[in-house]
Amino acid sequence: MESMKLLEVKGISLDFGGHRALSDVTCHVSDGEILGLIGPNGAGKTCVLNCATMFYKPHLGQVFFQGKDITGYKTHQIADLGIARTFQNIELFSGLTVLENLMVGRHIRMKAGTTACSLYFGRARAEEIRHREVVEDIIDLLEMEAIRNKKVGSLPYGQRKRVDLGRALAMEPKLLLLDEPLAGMNVEEKEDMVRFVMDVYELKKTSIILVEHDMGVVMDLVHRLVVLDFGVKIADGPPERIKQDEGVIKAYLGSSAAEHGTKTL
Amino acid sequence: MNDLDTLPKIFLEHATKFGPHKIALREKDRGVWKSLTWLDYEEKVRCLSLFLVSMGFQPGDKVALLGENKPEVYWAELAAQAACGTAVGIFSDCGPGEVKFFINHADVSFIFAHDQEQVDKILEIKAETPQLKRVVYWDPRGLWNYKDPILLSIDHALEIGRQYGNEHPHLFEQLVAQGRSEDIAVIVFTSGTTGTPKAAMLSHKGLIVSAKSFAQIDDYQSTDNYLSFVPVAWITEQVIGIAGSIVSGFIVNFPESAETVTENIREIGARILFYSPRQWESINRMVQSKMLDSSWLKRTIYNLFLPVVYKAGDRNLAKKKQGVTLKVLHGLAQWLVFRGLRDNLGLSHLRDGYTAGSAVSPEIIRYFQAIGINIKQIYGSSEMGLVTAHRNRDIRPETSGQPIPGAEVKLSETGEILTRNEGMFVGYYKDEAASTKKFREGWYCSGDYGYIDEQGHLIVIDRMEDLRSLEGGKKFSPQYLEVRLRFSPYIKEVLVVGSEERDSACCLVNIDLDNVGRWAEAHRIAYTTFADLSQKDEILQLIKNEIQKVNSLVPEESRLKRFLNMAKELDADEAELTRTRKLRRAFLEQRYQNLIEALYSGQNEIEVETLVEYRDGRKGSLKRAIKVCALS
Repeated sequence: MESMKLLEVKGISLDFGGHRALSDVTCHVSDGEILGLIGPNGAGKTCVLNCATMFYKPHLGQVFFQGKDITGYKTHQIADLGIARTFQNIELFSGLTVLENLMVGRHIRMKAGTTACSLYFGRARAEEIRHREVVEDIIDLLEMEAIRNKKVGSLPYGQRKRVDLGRALAMEPKLLLLDEPLAGMNVEEKEDMVRFVMDVYELKKTSIILVEHDMGVVMDLVHRLVVLDFGVKIADGPPERIKQDEGVIKAYLGSSAAEHGTKTL
Repeated sequence: MNDLDTLPKIFLEHATKFGPHKIALREKDRGVWKSLTWLDYEEKVRCLSLFLVSMGFQPGDKVALLGENKPEVYWAELAAQAACGTAVGIFSDCGPGEVKFFINHADVSFIFAHDQEQVDKILEIKAETPQLKRVVYWDPRGLWNYKDPILLSIDHALEIGRQYGNEHPHLFEQLVAQGRSEDIAVIVFTSGTTGTPKAAMLSHKGLIVSAKSFAQIDDYQSTDNYLSFVPVAWITEQVIGIAGSIVSGFIVNFPESAETVTENIREIGARILFYSPRQWESINRMVQSKMLDSSWLKRTIYNLFLPVVYKAGDRNLAKKKQGVTLKVLHGLAQWLVFRGLRDNLGLSHLRDGYTAGSAVSPEIIRYFQAIGINIKQIYGSSEMGLVTAHRNRDIRPETSGQPIPGAEVKLSETGEILTRNEGMFVGYYKDEAASTKKFREGWYCSGDYGYIDEQGHLIVIDRMEDLRSLEGGKKFSPQYLEVRLRFSPYIKEVLVVGSEERDSACCLVNIDLDNVGRWAEAHRIAYTTFADLSQKDEILQLIKNEIQKVNSLVPEESRLKRFLNMAKELDADEAELTRTRKLRRAFLEQRYQNLIEALYSGQNEIEVETLVEYRDGRKGSLKRAIKVCALS
């Protein structure tokens, strides 16, 4: 029983000058699925995310969201469709507070115009209160009460990552793209972050594409894995199968390990 | 008024009187203060109470409260009491093993648990607690996919209760009317400084008497704002918070989370609040260290005016008049520094700040009184209830105040404090023998050593069994020194040792990582871990100076002669401290026997291997050299 494909990239290729970053990659994420995207450094994982959000324009191939061809859309149109992402090198407004950063995430859902908003009057006021409630729910979910009014620039790295996730959630996305949400965190911060991702999934059943290096976490969390190596998809399947896949072991551990067949991921 | 002899009866009376016109509880949630009127409050208690009854709750059954202070804890406690049952408070940071002990020892059949963390603990021990019928949680985060039939959300429980109420009108009122004043309202576990905790039973009568005494002493108004923060497993929150709010009708405020308390107090302008000695100490430590961090100008002004307010404060406490110059300077100090400081701490509206539980340094009380924060000490325990308290305008930093109405204090010939109190416990649950042992001719033997000064103020020195004598029979009190040492911003915990075989007292210091770390940074001392920092020569010198300060205040014979900095922090999870953060002395002295030996053997350094237990249950060991320092 095949559930509906939410996002699909079909045969995309991406070149940087003479370097081919992605070649003919086809993969998809279904509705209500957590997809893990793994591969050695420079395999092109982030490139896939960037193509899916039209941050980079693929030279060949197409991207479909809910069956609609979205190749060539502008990034803000992608956001409107309900695709939100977090960044590997956190991209927040460091001069704004946590609350303000999250409110920015609500921007695409705001209807009132500049004048009405500046006057904070009538519908604009009611709308802002409604958005604030959504944001407060996220603050509660991600346990950010104590840092609500702190400037993002003053926060430690682990908490900024949390704010980054919060802002993506504020868009109430249908699909969430997480680019290395656990990178550079200590064990405790990682545990918290994983718990938040699981809570988000359990609560909202948002589809997630997770790019991550921590194999333990990836294997536990995802339903299906796509493995990239040098811009080529080398495997696609459930974690148990990927763990045994020879091509994958070779890409990660070198060929001799695969020949001896002693190691698994 | 005589028929209002239980907490639920008074509660119903107030709910009828105040109805929808007055706020009863207020909680900060999702960034907004949300209020509950007495009418709403009554509705919640009614439904939860009927829910319990519909699930087969019988009079005398026990309900455990396992969570941080939230309105739900108050509802659940009153719901249990309204159904003629008993509430049992459990500290929310207890591990599953401790939770199991409390639940089984008190025969708990229903639990109100906060969130996933607490529910997980219960599910882990469920197989060994067969009497457990239902577990109600109020924070559903992470629990969406839990399928265990024993679990249900508080909304569901309220709904069941509401329907049961529709089918059985007036049942709630009948239940409340059945309550008797001698029924056990609450079971409070003793902190267990010596051995396993015991379950002290408190009756409605006792709680009401004590709550009324406090209302009378400090003149609580129904418009006052109280901040609920110390755990309900503590006798003080039971008497002042829960019973107090029902008797006096003041507004109970619940902070958003433990980290936002300071901010939250400031928003509501709390008039009454209760902090443990450790919390007051940590506020004081925070101010001291932030002052070190602040700009030169601010620091100079603060340091310039601190002696002024100390002087004015001391004259106030001693009930002496202030001279004109002092008055002017004091006014200037308030205007320039301390008004802002109080505001920053969120304490500018505070009228009654309490501390109790364990000894607090007189310096702490002096300090807060000086900067204009009215902090008062209470003496009491789970068994004897609250016995003495400072009265406004009669505060002596070194005492615990005078007996509250309904309580009496006297000393035995050995100097032990004996008390008689209407608010006292009825006995230990399931341990008649231990309860009778605690009484002598109708007086409760506290096990504390102390004396009473000429104005009738009680001065508590230490636990009887903790009083030590040194070689030659010189008496000294470890705790007396410890509380004074902890006034230093750099010392978080300290264990003073000494016995008859020893010629002097020595101590083991647990440095304050935040403040010492900050000091190290400011002095360009690089360090890696707590253990590394603690053994730096500069840090040892810093701690040495702090101890010398205290040494200079005590008589020659009880001065500390040597000390060492411990390489790890004391931890309640390793049973080194009680959940209320008191030292478990006997255990510590045994565990750190090698360190203590080193203090007396004249060595300069000792190689130790410490076993550590991590939060996930893994065990490991730390090996390193610990330096011993002599004090002149």
